[in-house]
Amino acid sequence: MTSAVEVFERDRRRMLVRQRTQAAIGLAVFTVLLLVSFQRSQFFGSDIGGDPLGRMADFLQRMNPGLKPELLLEDRQTRGSLHSWFYALPIWLRAAWQTVEMAILATALGSILALGASFLTAQNLMPFAPVRFVVRRILEAIRTLPDLIMALILVAAFGVGPLAGVLTLTISTLGGLGKLFAEINEEIDPRQLEALQAAGAGPLKKIRYGVMPQVLPNYASYALIRLEGNLAGAAALGIVGAGGIGLELQRAITYTEFDTYLAILLIIIAMIFLIDLFSEAVRHRLIGLEKA
Amino acid sequence: MSRQAYDQALAIAPDALRAPWTRRARDAVLLILALAALVGMAIDLELAPGALMAGFSKLGRFLGEMVPPSTGGQSVRILKALAETFAMAFAGTVIAAVVALPLGVIGAKTVVSNAALHFAFRRFLDIFRGVPALVWALILVSAFGLGPFAGVVALALADTPNLAKLFSEALENSDPKPIEGVRSAGASPLAVMRFGLAPQFAPVATSQTLFFLEGNFRNAGVLGIVGAGGIGFELDERIRIFAFDEVAFIILLYMVAVACLDTLSRALRNRLA
Repeated sequence: MTSAVEVFERDRRRMLVRQRTQAAIGLAVFTVLLLVSFQRSQFFGSDIGGDPLGRMADFLQRMNPGLKPELLLEDRQTRGSLHSWFYALPIWLRAAWQTVEMAILATALGSILALGASFLTAQNLMPFAPVRFVVRRILEAIRTLPDLIMALILVAAFGVGPLAGVLTLTISTLGGLGKLFAEINEEIDPRQLEALQAAGAGPLKKIRYGVMPQVLPNYASYALIRLEGNLAGAAALGIVGAGGIGLELQRAITYTEFDTYLAILLIIIAMIFLIDLFSEAVRHRLIGLEKA
Repeated sequence: MSRQAYDQALAIAPDALRAPWTRRARDAVLLILALAALVGMAIDLELAPGALMAGFSKLGRFLGEMVPPSTGGQSVRILKALAETFAMAFAGTVIAAVVALPLGVIGAKTVVSNAALHFAFRRFLDIFRGVPALVWALILVSAFGLGPFAGVVALALADTPNLAKLFSEALENSDPKPIEGVRSAGASPLAVMRFGLAPQFAPVATSQTLFFLEGNFRNAGVLGIVGAGGIGFELDERIRIFAFDEVAFIILLYMVAVACLDTLSRALRNRLA
């Protein structure tokens, strides 16, 4: 007869063996994947020009605009002045503003479309199951497709310019927000809907007076978070020809003006930072209103 | 609601049934202003309805050409590109996680308790958190030349500050009680880390890293557009020559691969949680 202690010890040994085998297999799989990945991505390959650190240093040096403290406020022709570094500042600011406009327009359009889609996919508002199923699958397909691939195709169809960028971001916002909005819709308090139904309200009235007051603050909060993402997205989309500041970035690289690249990058970072501040302030106010 | 009941209710609590006209007027004005601003932006961006219509008819033609998808007899090359994309994502994520770990420790309030230092370090990370991988890739391709190496470094650079922030939050949120327990048993600092902190921190950190691997696999697919290798390069090439049947094949293959990785990673994350 085995004592309880022996049973415990045996089970514990088995558990340890199992855990260690799992850990060993996991580690082996990880190591193999890592080695193969480094090999396939030619991480230690030679085709990056021998001395990668040297090239990186050289590159950073070329990004340095060579500002000279005593010449900072000189005119454009003087190397080392701020003006010669940010030589096309008005054009870049204009392009940055275009990027902001693209992001705002796409967020607004995408949110409105997502609003419609969310009512079609919410279990408590759309009783007809096939519609829910189809709209949901469409939203999922949109979310799986990376924005930039969509942008490539839309640039081919709509030509180089902001139109392709706005459309891409609108569609991807529809995909992302549609799902989130539907989740909000499904969590609303059903009693208000029932009260409206009892009073004889139609589906549109139910949405207007039963759903909207409950969900609008949450919607707005998600849409603003999305705006932050769309701004970074809009900047990146410009690189593939969808207009805005990304196009200027691409241009600076093509002409190997690395100090210009740094200047535009700084503008992008500042732009994203400002929009983040703005959106955070508005969101906190919305949450505050919701509590009040 | 009968007319009489309505009038009664209106007399008792007018604001409950109808917002005061000042507020309704204000809401209407705000709505009109917002719409005007949006229309103004659309005009400023020169979004013409004509271009929209022409584009949609072109897009319709492209979509028509996508059926049926075709490999164009280059399935091996496409699969290799897909493997390269995964390799870029995996290597980039691992490098980012390894670099982010010490940065995350420095960024944790519980480790570096000096408020000013903590604030400065966090803001420093914030500056880089906004830069998308594609922007890094653009710069690195011109530094290191065409190829996946630039893609790996770009993904690592884009992820490191984000992961560092998440790691430091995970460290800050870890429960101090097990750590104190191990310490009070007389364990060495290393043992405290191993048995007090690691069991709390490791699953969270691994799960977040897996989450970034999923994201990177999606991102890596587009880095090829700026010359950083992988499936994006193949895709870009075929879109340029309007070979949309092959484009459709690559996109479908890629979406299936993304879905597989997501499922696998979600299963792993659920086991960790």
